[in-house]
Amino acid sequence: MSRRVRVQPSAATARPGDSARIVDLDDVDSATQRVDILVGAIRDDPDGARLVEVVVDGWRFELEVEDAARAELRRRATRAPDAATASGPTEIRAIIPGRVAAVHVAAGDTVEAGRSLLVVEAMKMQNEIRAPRPGTVKRVAVAAGETIDLGDLLVVVT
Amino acid sequence: MTGALSVSLRKDGGGERPFRRLLIANRGEIAVRIIRACRELGVETVAVFSDPDADGLPVRLADRAVRLGPGPADDSYLRGEAIVNAAIATGADAIHPGYGFLAERASFARLVEDAGLTFVGPSSEVIAALGDKVAARRTVAAVGVPVVTGTLEPAAIEHPDDLPALLVEADRIGFPLLVKAAAGGGGRGMRRVADRDALPAALVAGSAEARSAFGDGAVYLEREIRPARHIEVQLLGDAHGTVLALGERDCSLQRRHQKLVEEAPAAGLSSDERGVLHDLAVRAAQAAELQNAATAEFLFDADRRFWFLEVNTRLQVEHGVTELVADVDIVREQLWLAAGRPLSERVVAAAGRAGNPGRHAIEVRISAEDPGREFAPAPGRIDRWAMPSGPGVRVDTAVGSGHRVPPDYDPLIAKVMIVDDSRGEALDRLARALDETVIGGIQTTLPFHRFVVNDPGFRAGPLPIDWVDAHWDSIAVERRAAALEVAGRVAAAAIDARPGVAGADAGSPAAARRAGGDASAWARAGRSAAIERWPR
Repeated sequence: MSRRVRVQPSAATARPGDSARIVDLDDVDSATQRVDILVGAIRDDPDGARLVEVVVDGWRFELEVEDAARAELRRRATRAPDAATASGPTEIRAIIPGRVAAVHVAAGDTVEAGRSLLVVEAMKMQNEIRAPRPGTVKRVAVAAGETIDLGDLLVVVT
Repeated sequence: MTGALSVSLRKDGGGERPFRRLLIANRGEIAVRIIRACRELGVETVAVFSDPDADGLPVRLADRAVRLGPGPADDSYLRGEAIVNAAIATGADAIHPGYGFLAERASFARLVEDAGLTFVGPSSEVIAALGDKVAARRTVAAVGVPVVTGTLEPAAIEHPDDLPALLVEADRIGFPLLVKAAAGGGGRGMRRVADRDALPAALVAGSAEARSAFGDGAVYLEREIRPARHIEVQLLGDAHGTVLALGERDCSLQRRHQKLVEEAPAAGLSSDERGVLHDLAVRAAQAAELQNAATAEFLFDADRRFWFLEVNTRLQVEHGVTELVADVDIVREQLWLAAGRPLSERVVAAAGRAGNPGRHAIEVRISAEDPGREFAPAPGRIDRWAMPSGPGVRVDTAVGSGHRVPPDYDPLIAKVMIVDDSRGEALDRLARALDETVIGGIQTTLPFHRFVVNDPGFRAGPLPIDWVDAHWDSIAVERRAAALEVAGRVAAAAIDARPGVAGADAGSPAAARRAGGDASAWARAGRSAAIERWPR
């Protein structure tokens, strides 16, 4: 019997371009690269997947692992909302914790892709957060001076 | 504390010490570094700390500790008056500022001096003269040290009407140029300006960052010399006007002006070139009447010319590589110099060898930053930590497993330093040391260092300053993707080894242990064999 699981980086460590992959557990010994691997504790995800931190050659990932068949079922169940949101609002969330140094847009503003939305100061460096796509600012969820955490909602662009 | 008592008894019986009690106005690894030097000399130590650092290593190692306030630096490590008051209250007779924070604020050095305490560093006048980067450029240019073309007066950005005059000045300097903070270094407040259209925005952004980092928004313009290497000279000066160069460091491997790797000596320089460089640095320092420890920074261009950038009037982050090559404890020398002693015989001998040091040291800065996301800060809780050791390895750090890296400060968490006879041997040793390095819980710059130590280009010789900015991001994408591929397989196998996962077999107890079967466990799998051992 084939044992297949779906693996994808969790929101905290995912990057654009990362995709979920199906790993066949009967196949895992085929990797023979010389790498340094560190495996963290396994935790349960609210959705029924399991989370595990893996560090490979210094790169750190939090990975969600779920039985492939169950992941497929879950994906089908949520497909309709997915399609609806594809052209819907884009939530821009904090990719670093820090303090909001400046806010450059207000609700109702039209923005181009790449336009600076706000500046987050972390570890004494100023980091510009830019619009990922063109659209209209629907909501600005933070104000200058506020402290923000990783994943906090900053701006919604529609 | 019995430890402190026994140390002071030994010193009181055996010899002298530069101070009785010293307060360290800093945190993290540099506070630990200074405490170590003090303990060896029999000097009692006072640490200061912010709330997130309350259980940090400096607080544990020091004889006494004084709370400064909450996390943000403005409320803690930048409270100069509170720090001086803490020194007075604890009976300290000297203050060492470390690097960053108040280390190069002349106003702080003056507060210390006015309180009748010794500031371990140059005098407040010298810090003011050299800390104002624009004034420093004027001072050293006057004694014939070549300075990078740029403005010799700060840009008056508070007056938008002056912009046309500034644009004329910028055209004279030529593009691309750099907007730099007059009050500080470390890349803070610095902006690269490709053409004149981009200048106004860069002035505003650079000034805002400079004000945030240094409390002073003044900026100036400087030509960008490219390609170039960043080479700096470690200087020590005594109260009798003698200044010596202990040797130079190459710090060209930088990401947006933040140093990542430093080595000593600078590879590929002839001993004549070293002599010229050290002489320029000493001349600049003497023009500024420098005492104690400082570093003169230069650019080394494609025509093998040196251009003065600035003098940092403090202990540098990367002082350790010079210590390893010169066999001098720079912090110990700083303390004796601050106490009024002349330069030691050991320093004089090391300066005499500086043209032909015969050893090579390399430091990599392990920081809580994500090298796959443009080195964005990645604070968090470290839950697995193993540092390298063995012959020729030195690690300066103040963190360990369970330590939370706060978002309030510089992301540097450890300096891994290597020394060996030659650069090639030092690189081999560094590769070995980085293989031993294990960090879990937070993303660090380790993947970058693992790459660079094996990169044929870097092994062939130092890379120019722009190398990381130009090449790393695409390398990072590839290497992270390859790591993710492996990580996915490992994660799947790890969870498969855990009993109770739907559709999976129970797996062996050993595999479950490896996979982190209990909530706090990390399992380290060694190299290729580990993957093949995963249960099937």
